[in-house]
Amino acid sequence: MADNSRQQDHFSLLGVERSFELDERALTLSYRALQRSAHPDRFAGDDERQRRLAVQKSAQINEAYETLRSPTRRAAYLLELAGQAVDTSATTFRDPEFLMQQMQLREELAELHDAADPEQALDAFYRDVDSALTSQRQAFQQNFDAGDFDAAKDGYAKLQFLEKLRYEAEQKEGELLDF
Amino acid sequence: MAFMQISEPGQSPEPHQRKLAVGIDLGTTNSLVAAFRNGSLQTLSDAQGQALLPSVVHYGENGEVVVGAAAQSQAAADPHNTLASVKRLMGRSFTDIQAGEMLSTYELLDCGSDMVKLQTRAGDLSPVQVSAEILRVLAERAQESLGGELQGAVITVPAYFDDGQRQATKDAAKLAGLNVLRLLNEPTAAAVAYGLDEQDEGAIAVFDLGGGTFDISVLQMSKGVFEVLSTGGDSALGGDDFDQAVAAWFVSQSTVSGLDASERRQLLDACRAAKERLSAEESAEIVLGDTRLSLSREQFNALVDPMIDRAIRACKRALRDAKLANDDILNVVMVGGSTRVPRVRERVAQWFGREPLVSLDPDKVVALGAASQAEQLVGNRSGEETLLLDVIPLSLGVETMGGLTEKVIHRNTTIPVAMAQEFTTFKDGQTAMAIHVVQGERELVEDCRSLASFELQGIPPMVAGAARIRVTFQVDADGLLQVSAREETTGAESQVQVKPSYGLSDGDIADMLTSSFEAAGEDKQARALREQQVEAEALLQSLSAALLADGEALLSDEEQRELLAKMEQLHKEKESGSAASIARQIEIVGAASETFAERRMDASIKQALAGRRVDEL
Repeated sequence: MADNSRQQDHFSLLGVERSFELDERALTLSYRALQRSAHPDRFAGDDERQRRLAVQKSAQINEAYETLRSPTRRAAYLLELAGQAVDTSATTFRDPEFLMQQMQLREELAELHDAADPEQALDAFYRDVDSALTSQRQAFQQNFDAGDFDAAKDGYAKLQFLEKLRYEAEQKEGELLDF
Repeated sequence: MAFMQISEPGQSPEPHQRKLAVGIDLGTTNSLVAAFRNGSLQTLSDAQGQALLPSVVHYGENGEVVVGAAAQSQAAADPHNTLASVKRLMGRSFTDIQAGEMLSTYELLDCGSDMVKLQTRAGDLSPVQVSAEILRVLAERAQESLGGELQGAVITVPAYFDDGQRQATKDAAKLAGLNVLRLLNEPTAAAVAYGLDEQDEGAIAVFDLGGGTFDISVLQMSKGVFEVLSTGGDSALGGDDFDQAVAAWFVSQSTVSGLDASERRQLLDACRAAKERLSAEESAEIVLGDTRLSLSREQFNALVDPMIDRAIRACKRALRDAKLANDDILNVVMVGGSTRVPRVRERVAQWFGREPLVSLDPDKVVALGAASQAEQLVGNRSGEETLLLDVIPLSLGVETMGGLTEKVIHRNTTIPVAMAQEFTTFKDGQTAMAIHVVQGERELVEDCRSLASFELQGIPPMVAGAARIRVTFQVDADGLLQVSAREETTGAESQVQVKPSYGLSDGDIADMLTSSFEAAGEDKQARALREQQVEAEALLQSLSAALLADGEALLSDEEQRELLAKMEQLHKEKESGSAASIARQIEIVGAASETFAERRMDASIKQALAGRRVDEL
């Protein structure tokens, strides 16, 4: 009984259904219940072996939770489980609409420096990126559920591009808002 | 049950007997110990009724070591041998300290990339040894006032502490003979002390301005689970800097110059006293020799405002990291003596838009929270338990080509965490590979803190790029890192023990322990035997308790019999064996209990999820 837990995927470890659509509240609740039972603090009085095991298990639960909580990482993980792991470095887009949107967002990001109110401009930028993320997530879900893995992989690469933009904006926040 | 007869009659603890555990706040300026006593959490005082132990150690002419107020009183007369604010030096090299350090009244020894040492008449001492003196005094105080041996201690560290600083703190505790149940972040402890873990949901900011460090932490609490969402701060900002700023003002306003170490100390003491008076009064006088200057509260506010600005900027960043706005924060907890400064409270209230919590003594709140957690970890509290999930404060990475850092674990990731990264060889036939582990946010390795360097050897010769070297980073619940590496294609394993650049090796610790036992007149072999006996007893007790709880359910009769036989053998060795034979049997029992340990973990997890579904129905 100890062995099959090693191969357990993140979804079954956290007791949620394997799908892109996910009840975040249920995920968080079972994450906390699991950490309550596996965290090394629970085993503070136990011998070293049991404590070491708790560190490993607790780390595994953390990894599962972090992976499933982020829609983009969840998408990658689902593709991986389906035997469709993606190499985004080789992706080329043939979607002119998406390319246009990327160019616009890049421009918006570059112009943040010159904005009269950088905080407001930044918030507007986040809104644009987030709404693009939302529609790409919906597209991913449809394609993945329909078993169209090529389109799903393409959608995942788009999610990654948008996340990267968001990350770059976060990096800029410090200098923009005078931290 | 027959198999439970593994403790000496009379020595066996009663099943419901309280275990003694304490919380220790090892502070830059003051340290405290707290415990659950007479039905409540309280700080423990010395014979003079003082709870605060100044974190000062004095090494006297005749080899005597004095800690606390008595040491502090030597500061002006014997500055070189009176060591204060040593926490700032923990896990730090000479260059780290020179980068942004204050006027230090004692001599530091440059040890290259190793931890700095302090030059005293008692020899060159590591900050770990000096801190251990402080911890030893607190442990003795606790044992006297609680009337028994301590089972363990929770020791607090700034959330901002990196791996080297945490390791140094744990080493100091080990040196002082303490069993560390957990290193707990100070802000988390403070929130626990306010009982905020009993509230239902909400975000909390802990503003901790101590003598030497500033920490801001944003916590999310939900039904007894504390998650640290983000931490930030400045490990070189505190009330001492307020004193320094006032001292600098004093010097600029007078003709005073060329102060020696003891005059400098006098001036700083006078400035500190003025700062404290200004909490209640509108102006205060500072006197040094013939010079006498009056400082108004308004002037003082202007002097400290730039430092409070720095703290507020760190608050902004921490909230951004937590993806929250100012008004998402339900409670602001104030910690550290410097939050008594009215200007600090005023600016914090203004920025967060709500009055901060100040009802507990800001000097004691961290120790009280740590004691509460120690009670729980040692098993004295049953029922609803608080679970504290901490995050790693700084990213961990490895050096790649061109002196760049590749992050492996990002900051604010919940711990414990384990991540693996694959590397490969870049030359044909390469059989060794150097791995350099760093901590920090910057892109260049030279801007990050070097944690460990090691060489992975025994890679089978292959063409460049064919070897697959998997490096695993594991950070435990204390925030301490372990790195191991393995070559995967051939299955050849090379586990690597990492010696941290800033910590002490096990050998260093052993040497320090040996010298302190020799000083205490203890025989080394007798000590080794006693250590093994204690370890055997601890293993037998924890396994017996586990067997009693889960043995029937998780092990077959055969498996139980086998394990019990090995435990019986260990019991016999413990009574009459040598240190080596006990150690061997401990290993055997440990290995035999492996399956049981795994099944307990799995069962515990299954139960957690099953319980939840029942609740939801």
